[in-house]
Amino acid sequence: MADVLGAFEQAVLLSIVRLDDDAYGRAVLREVSQRLERDVAAGAVQATLDRLERKGLVRSRLGAGTAVRDGRPRRFYTLMPAGRKALNDARAMHDAIWSGLARPLKARG
Amino acid sequence: MLNPPVLAQALLQRLLPPETRESVVGDLLEEYRESRAPARGRFRANLWYCKEVVGFWRRSYGAFAVPILALFVVRDLSNVFRGPSGPLLNVEFLFGLITLSPLMFFLAGAYGSWRTRRWTGGVVAALGTFIAAWLLISAWWNATLYPFALMQQSNPYWIHAWRWSLQQTGVLSLFRIAADASFVRWAIIENINAQAVVDATMLAAALVGSATGGALGLVVPRRPNEASPVQS
Repeated sequence: MADVLGAFEQAVLLSIVRLDDDAYGRAVLREVSQRLERDVAAGAVQATLDRLERKGLVRSRLGAGTAVRDGRPRRFYTLMPAGRKALNDARAMHDAIWSGLARPLKARG
Repeated sequence: MLNPPVLAQALLQRLLPPETRESVVGDLLEEYRESRAPARGRFRANLWYCKEVVGFWRRSYGAFAVPILALFVVRDLSNVFRGPSGPLLNVEFLFGLITLSPLMFFLAGAYGSWRTRRWTGGVVAALGTFIAAWLLISAWWNATLYPFALMQQSNPYWIHAWRWSLQQTGVLSLFRIAADASFVRWAIIENINAQAVVDATMLAAALVGSATGGALGLVVPRRPNEASPVQS
């Protein structure tokens, strides 16, 4: 099995999956913040995206800029087959660990 | 359209590698204009933007400040519990200070310019390291000044140092110490004076390290990014 994805890496990758063609930096940041129900630092998301790209789990391309960004381009991210496999592996491991246990866990007695 | 603080934007430009510079600056600008400023007002949006810029610096270069802080913490702890004999001048600490801190600033400057392909990127990295180290050391020093002085006042080494120091005249210092100063008062003022010297030394080292490290980083080649972006 490949290196297990951390929770934050999974959140970023799944945001890319959910956003599909609209998965650019700011959108990923907002999606991750919404899913984790907390403010997330842009630097943390960017560092994770860079790391995932170096690992070959995602690929990026530059898109057109907009006026609100003073014309600066957006960088769109796409999930690669290796990224899809990594997510599925992480899900399988999670399911294996929780197998047979009630969700949510309840106290005994 | 509203703009984030000019200095913070300029710093952000110098913290990012060329591959992601424009897109990340654009992302923060879009978030600032479309979400933060309308929802929270300009002041809080500016605070948010500055916090994000500091976060980018911390993730890239924060580790360079840690060895400098460690040097001071180890030195302080060994000072409090040092034996009754030994030279009054802490040679080991001074050696560490004049070699380790310039080395860290130089490395931060070199890494910063290598990573961003800008000499100013190295300067921002190294000077940011100085500011972070200064803040951490100041916090440590000021938190431990009084309790350490209380512990040292029963150490024969420090009693000797106190009496010897009060007899010295003509020594340049930020704050004068009265000839009849108590041990605790002497220890506190001595540390404040020492802190001023250390701060000035570190700042000078940071300025030199940032300039020289920044220059070196530019000549070190980078490997082509294997996941280089494809223009749409």
